[in-house]
Amino acid sequence: MDITTLGGQLLGIIPLGDIVLYVTTFNLFMFAAALVFTVLIAMSKTEKQVEAEFGTLNDREKKVGKDEFKVRRFLSIICGLATAGAMITGDLFNFTLFVTLIGIVNIGIVSAVKEVDVLDSAFQYGIIAMLATLPLFGGAALILAATGTLSMFEIVNIPSTAMMIFGSILLFIGVAGESGVAPFFATKAEMFRTAGSPFLVIIHLSSLLVIVRAIEVILLISKPF
Amino acid sequence: MKLGRLWNSLATPKRIPKVFSIILAVVLLAGFVVPLTYDVHQVYLKPAPQAQVNDQDPFAPYNRGGSPLEEPATYISQYPQFAQHQGMITSYLSPIAIGVSETTLYFGTSILASPGGVIDEILYFSRGFDTILESSIMLMASVIATWVALHFTMRRKEEED
Repeated sequence: MDITTLGGQLLGIIPLGDIVLYVTTFNLFMFAAALVFTVLIAMSKTEKQVEAEFGTLNDREKKVGKDEFKVRRFLSIICGLATAGAMITGDLFNFTLFVTLIGIVNIGIVSAVKEVDVLDSAFQYGIIAMLATLPLFGGAALILAATGTLSMFEIVNIPSTAMMIFGSILLFIGVAGESGVAPFFATKAEMFRTAGSPFLVIIHLSSLLVIVRAIEVILLISKPF
Repeated sequence: MKLGRLWNSLATPKRIPKVFSIILAVVLLAGFVVPLTYDVHQVYLKPAPQAQVNDQDPFAPYNRGGSPLEEPATYISQYPQFAQHQGMITSYLSPIAIGVSETTLYFGTSILASPGGVIDEILYFSRGFDTILESSIMLMASVIATWVALHFTMRRKEEED
């Protein structure tokens, strides 16, 4: 199982010292999708939520204030860029750093709202994101110890050992915690119950893209087939 | 217990950190039976433990030799062809670091010298992109904390009135 089997044609590499980003057809598509979506979010405005109040003729409007809008847009752009970076990185430690950046920015995007339930679930998500850094970095460290390298180009050529497979399992638990896939979805699902849809959608998109990329990384490391 | 009830209990955000930590604990315990493998040809090699301490080196265990911009420090790089000037800034020390290292023998092991501290051993040059990402994670955390502190989002009661 090598890079071209999973990602298609290798279109090029971007060397930054030891950290070599690589672009295959598959990675390029996800990278471009993340970037296009980030641009769309940077240009768009948030929606307003209007609820009819029970028993009166009044409406209750939930709006995103200007300050809140600015910080959430900024954090969304960072989140989009981090997602795009995680798609093309060819270094394991670099990947974990991108995933951690996405995690902390996701908390930031909802921390600006003023709804108690949303903030409570964001707090719970923050606890998971903190816990998840242990398996995330621990998995990368185990793979570094077992292979002596962090570059995916080199790891692909090394036959997998039990410790590498254990490291990739830890890595997956870390990514699952940071991105909030099942069975840890409840905190993230509750975080969406607020106004400001484009910013909330980037949380969702970053989780989806990161989990796809994480599966590719894990297949490259553990080589099950 | 019925499966449906189990799924319902997973839909409570408060329980999720507990579920996550239990799964993590089980996997970590299973890790004790995994046979250890260690590749001796490590890229980011460190000197033998205590070797630099015994030499009375104030930078132990982080000393990599060399002097900034003149003589490269010694370490193995994964792709030497992508970083021709590798090791040239690894031994850079700020004036504070030089001052502290002249007063004590334990500079390298003090909290002052922890990664991101004064000694900055993470300035490997060949892994410079990681340094940028690490500090941007810190920056984002402080952006969020500052915003929350400045806008008093914790004052929920007053906002509702």
